[in-house]
Amino acid sequence: MSEFLGYERDDGSVGIRNHVAIISTAPYANDTVKRAADIIDGAVPITHPLGRCQTKPDVFQTYRTLLGYGTHPNVYGTVVVAHAGEIVDGDELAADVAETGRPSDSVNIHAEKGVMNALKRTVDSARDMVQEASAQRRVPADMSNLTFGINCATSDTTSGLCQHKATARAVWRLIDEHGGRGCFAETPEFFGGENELSERAVNDEVRDEILERVDNWDKRLQATGYDVRGAQPTPDNMDGGLTTIEEKSLGALVKSGDGPIQDIIDYGAKIPDDSGMYIMDTPGHGAESVTGIGAGGAHFMVISTGQGHTLSNAIMPTIKITGNPGSAERVPEQTDVDVSEALVGDETFDWAGDQLWDEIEKVVNGQVTLSEAMGESQFAIHRIGPST
Amino acid sequence: MADRYLQVVEPSDNVATALRELEAGETVTVAVGDEERTIEVQEDVIFGHKIAVEDIASGETITKYGKSIGNATEDIPAGTWVHVQNVESNYGRGDLAGDKETAAVSE
Repeated sequence: MSEFLGYERDDGSVGIRNHVAIISTAPYANDTVKRAADIIDGAVPITHPLGRCQTKPDVFQTYRTLLGYGTHPNVYGTVVVAHAGEIVDGDELAADVAETGRPSDSVNIHAEKGVMNALKRTVDSARDMVQEASAQRRVPADMSNLTFGINCATSDTTSGLCQHKATARAVWRLIDEHGGRGCFAETPEFFGGENELSERAVNDEVRDEILERVDNWDKRLQATGYDVRGAQPTPDNMDGGLTTIEEKSLGALVKSGDGPIQDIIDYGAKIPDDSGMYIMDTPGHGAESVTGIGAGGAHFMVISTGQGHTLSNAIMPTIKITGNPGSAERVPEQTDVDVSEALVGDETFDWAGDQLWDEIEKVVNGQVTLSEAMGESQFAIHRIGPST
Repeated sequence: MADRYLQVVEPSDNVATALRELEAGETVTVAVGDEERTIEVQEDVIFGHKIAVEDIASGETITKYGKSIGNATEDIPAGTWVHVQNVESNYGRGDLAGDKETAAVSE
């Protein structure tokens, strides 16, 4: 199969879902956003604690992340809800979404003279968009349109030995055979493997940038004055046998395969259109990392997990794969694909990669993932500096 | 024949990952590259955790995937459980950052 059935957008992108996003610009709009999404079936709430009293780098990062969701290929239309005048401006965000040709609306709680009026306006707008979206049909599209997000979660020693090998096979199949894109992240989880990783860069500039960003994370962590152990690896990683961040990293890098790296991009920045593998500079914190990759426009996310994880995203479907033979039994809702037979049975890693690929084909064509069916999702924008 | 549930990634590794439970006192055969080693398990090891496949002296590098995953904080005889109680990392060491700075100043 070199085609899938997707939703065409005016900006040339093709989605695998047709969501209506209701996006909060500040914590004081979160309740209105959540209430509107509770009322309108098919609307996805995007809420967070940021968007005000932030310094410039954080304002830019918050804005870029929210815009990435408003203009995501899987989003049909967006309603932006703001509280009052804020440094992340609701009207500006809604206007930038509209530039991509998507239906876009802006609601301001103060301008509407209170939350009840604002809620009514948000509900009316989201309802109309949901109805319009439901009339749109999936059409055949080339798989080169697709961007494959990669993240790991609750890693253990099986991650690097098994499931990450399946993920690597599937993502390079999309890149090499179909001309798509891949994006992995979690820069502090390169510690110990950064030299070999940087040698995969397409040029010296990208190689040096990878090394510099890894070094920056080590310096940021050292500046805390504490040993990072306990935060990396996490207690669940250590329960699963991972001893140090170096061991976790060397296993984590297996999921990226061994092909060339085109570039390393900023947190929440758009993943480039050219085919190939990209790195997004994010923390290892799963919710923050996955949120960043979603803002970059990845269509779906493969979460390669050791012991199972609830980690998922409302806009970008997440497919959970494990090679730990006990995980599918312990956490069935967190296991879309079980490839443990490649680790402790008689199957090969090529078989494991095929199992994942088959699931990806179903999901991009519309089959919901377990986390979508369960309504699981988390959203967390990475914060750089202090609030003020 | 080597136990397939004890995996050594690269021939230069000095630890194996246990893909089954290991019991203290059992004798296991581990494939390290082309070589097979017979090791007596020193303590119980649960699924997914590591054992030393050779004697490792305090301060020596623990090697997995053919690369350093940290240093031994004590002597680790072959067959011993290798984990956070006897290995320390070399990254994100804010607890040592002050010492490094002091050392740099005194040089």
